[in-house]
Amino acid sequence: MKAVGARLPRYDGVAHVTGRTQYVDDVRVPNMLWAKALRSPVHHAAITGLDTAKAEKIKGVHAIVTWQDVPKLVYGHLEALGIPADEPLLAKDDVRYKGQPIALVAAEDEETALEAVAAIDLDLEERPALFDIRKAADPDAPTIHQWGNWYPHFENEMDVRQIRKGDIDRAFDQADTIVKGVYRPAAIEHVPLEPQTALVVPEPSSRLTIYSCTQALYFSMGVVAAHLEVPLNRLKFVGGTVGGGFGGKVDTATETISALAALKSGRPVKWRWTREEEFLCSSTRAPWHMEIADAVTKDGWILGRKMLTLHDSGAYARFSPYGLTKHSFHHTGAYTIPNLHFDGYVVFTNRVPTTAMRGFGVTSVSFATELHVTRVAEVLGIDPFELRLKNANRIADTSPNGVSYTDPSTVPTILAIADAIGHELPADYRTMTRDSRAGELLPEHLVAQVGEVDH
Amino acid sequence: MARHRGRGISAIEYPTGMNQNGDPSQAWIKIKPDGRVDVFSGTSDIGNGSKTIQSQIVAETLGVPYDWITYDNSNTDSSPVCTGTFASRATFVAGNAVLKAAADAKRKLLEIAAKELEIAPDDLEVVEGEVVAKGAPQKKIGVPDVAAAATWVHGELITGTGAQLKPYAAIVDPETGRVDAPPHSAISYAACAAEVEVDDETGEVTVERLWQCFDVGRAINPTLVEGQIQGGALMGLGLGVLEECYPYYPSADHRGGEFGSYLAPGIKGLPAVDTIVIENPSTDGPYGAKGISEMANNPQPPAIAAAVYDAIGVWVTELPITPERVLRALERKDDGPRREGKWVIFDDELSVNTVAHADSRFRFPLGV
Repeated sequence: MKAVGARLPRYDGVAHVTGRTQYVDDVRVPNMLWAKALRSPVHHAAITGLDTAKAEKIKGVHAIVTWQDVPKLVYGHLEALGIPADEPLLAKDDVRYKGQPIALVAAEDEETALEAVAAIDLDLEERPALFDIRKAADPDAPTIHQWGNWYPHFENEMDVRQIRKGDIDRAFDQADTIVKGVYRPAAIEHVPLEPQTALVVPEPSSRLTIYSCTQALYFSMGVVAAHLEVPLNRLKFVGGTVGGGFGGKVDTATETISALAALKSGRPVKWRWTREEEFLCSSTRAPWHMEIADAVTKDGWILGRKMLTLHDSGAYARFSPYGLTKHSFHHTGAYTIPNLHFDGYVVFTNRVPTTAMRGFGVTSVSFATELHVTRVAEVLGIDPFELRLKNANRIADTSPNGVSYTDPSTVPTILAIADAIGHELPADYRTMTRDSRAGELLPEHLVAQVGEVDH
Repeated sequence: MARHRGRGISAIEYPTGMNQNGDPSQAWIKIKPDGRVDVFSGTSDIGNGSKTIQSQIVAETLGVPYDWITYDNSNTDSSPVCTGTFASRATFVAGNAVLKAAADAKRKLLEIAAKELEIAPDDLEVVEGEVVAKGAPQKKIGVPDVAAAATWVHGELITGTGAQLKPYAAIVDPETGRVDAPPHSAISYAACAAEVEVDDETGEVTVERLWQCFDVGRAINPTLVEGQIQGGALMGLGLGVLEECYPYYPSADHRGGEFGSYLAPGIKGLPAVDTIVIENPSTDGPYGAKGISEMANNPQPPAIAAAVYDAIGVWVTELPITPERVLRALERKDDGPRREGKWVIFDDELSVNTVAHADSRFRFPLGV
C-alpha cells in the first residue's frame, strides 16, 4: 500500500458532490445581522459630504461603519515586503474606482440594510478618470493617485522594475533581424461560485470569531489584526474550505469591515456579496501591455530581448508590485536569452484594483513571449518547434536575474508534444536533452551564461 | 467564406512558492490511542485538493493507511501558520511542512515501539501500519498497539511538528534585478499544442483539441494532477477566446455583471484534451513534487493564438480572440509589419510610441 502516487479519492469529494460541504454562507448564528455596502457610484471623485444620520434612524438598523470607525484606516497587504500602504479600508477623502466601499450598514435583514444604504447622504465632486495605462505618463493625464500615476517604491525608491543583463546594444548590433510585437491580455474575473462572504461573531470572551472564505487564513488574520490594532489572540479565523478562489480570495475584502460592524453593534454580522458585486466590485486579473523586440540571427538564435511592460494595477497597489517583479523574473519564458533590457511599470487607473490570479504575473508573459517566439519563427521561416528547442533553457543556463536553472524540462516537454501530434523533427533535435550545453552545443553568445548563482 | 483549421504550440515555465520566498508553512500531528492520526495544517483547500495531497504525504511518511488520517485545517486556534494557498505552494511548501511533522511523529512512535519490542529505534521501520524490525519481519507490533502503549503504559503523547521556510531572497541590485539566491522553491515546465477551427465569415474561433505535457516532478495523486491540468485548460480557453471584464478596454464601460453577460467557460466547452504527465523529481519537494496548479492555465492562450495564425494568416495579439478581433484582423490582413532596416515591426497601432504623448516617460527603446 503506497499513498504517494496512488489515485486515492479526494478527501472531501463526497461532501462536495452531495452538497453537504459547509461554506461561510451556510453558517447561521442567533441574533445575526445582515450587511450591505454603500459604494462609489463613479470612477473618480472627491468626497465632499458623508452623513449617515438619517440612515441610522431607520428601524432595524444597528450599526453603520465609515472610515471614522477604523483604528488603522490605511494598511497595505504587503507592507512586510516593502510595499507601502495606500488603500483606505473605507473611503475617506477620495473615491478612485466605481464600487469602492464607503460605508457598511448592519441591519435586521438585507432589505433594511439596502434601504439604509440608500438613505446615506453622499456628496461627490467628480473628477476626470484615467483608464488607458499607455497615457498615464502623458503631460495632460489626470493625476489619480497620491503617489502619482505609477508605483514609485521599488528598491532604492525606483519607479521602474528593471532587468539588465549582458550587452544589449551588442546583441542588437549583431542581430540579422529584430522582430517587435505588442501583446495585450485582458482583465478577467475570478468567477468563484462562492462570492466574497464573511460572518463575524463577537464572543463573550471579547474575541471575534471570523468565518472567512479566504485562501490564506493566517494572512487574512494578520490583515484584520493590523486594521483593528489587536493581538492575534483576539481573533479566531474559521475556514479552510473555499468555494473557488483563483487568487481573488487572497484579498481580505469582507472580514475587516464586517468585524467593525460586529464590534459596533455587538451582534454577529454577515456580509455576503451579490453576484453583481462579485463581478463589478471585486478585484480582477490585471490587464497587461507588453512590447517585445527580439534580436535574432538568421538561423534562429535569440541574442537579446528588449521589453516594456505596463501593468494595469487599478486604483491601488495591493499585490501588483509583487506581481510585476515576478513577471520580470520570468520575462524570457522557457528560453535562455543572454542579453536583456526590461523596464516594467505598475500603472494606476480608475479601475477596480487588480490582484493575484492563477499564474499571477506570468500568465501575461507566457502569452507574450510564446506568441512572439512563434512570430520570430514565422519571420525567419524556421519550424517553431526547432526554434524553441534551440533556445530552450538547459541545466546550468541562467535566468534573467542570474539564477542557474537546476532542472529545466523545456526540451522534454516540447519533444513530448511533438511526439503526441506527430510532428517530425530532424535527428539532432529529436535527440536533444535538457543537459548542460557543452562543446559545440554551446554557441559563442551563450558562453558567459552558464552557472552564476548556484541552487 | 470558409472554415480553416490550424495548429499552434507553446512552451512555458512557472515558479513554485512565493516570488523571493519568505513564505512559511507549519503543521503538527498527534496520534490517537488507537493509532489514528490527526493532522493540523493552516492550508486552505480552494478546490486544489490540498487536504488530500497533504493527507497522502502524511500516510506515506508515517507508513499508515490513508483512511487513518483526519485532516483539520478549519481554524487558526488549532492550526499553525500557513502563508496561504497561492503561488502554487500548497503541495511543495505546505506539503514539506506536513512531511516534516510526520517524520517527527514517526521518530517518537518508533521510540515507544522500541521500548515495547526491546529493539533500538534505528532498527525499526513502519510498514503498512505495523512497526517491524528491519531484517526480522516476524518481530513486529501494530501502530495501534504502540499508540495504546504510549497512552496507557508510558504516559506519552505522540506528536510531531514541522515547518518549511525558504528565507527571503532579496534583490541585491535593483538596477539589474540580480538576486543572490534562487527566488523560488522550484520551477515547473509545460508544453502545449492547440488545434482550432476559424470561421472567416463570423470570426468565431473553436478550439477543437489540446495536447498538454506537464513535468510535475512527482504526481502525489495522478487523478488530481490530471484534474488540475484539465481544469486549467478550461480557464486557459476562457483567457484565450471568451473572457474579458472590459469588452472595450481601456474603456470601463459595458461591464458584464452577471453570468448572462460575462462569458465564463463551462465544462461543456472543454475540447478534447490529451494530458501527458512526466516526472523529473525536484531536488527538495515532498517526494520530488513540484507545483503546477497555476501554470495550468498559461500555455493555451498563446498556442490558440498561434493556431489562429496558422489557420487564417493573421496575428491577434489582444486577448480574448473574439470574433470581432478576428474580423478586424482579417480586414487588415494585407497590411503586414512595418520594415525598417533589419527591424520587422508588428502592431505599431497598439504601441505606446504611437498612443502616448511624445513627452511620455513610457517609450519603447526602439533605437531604429
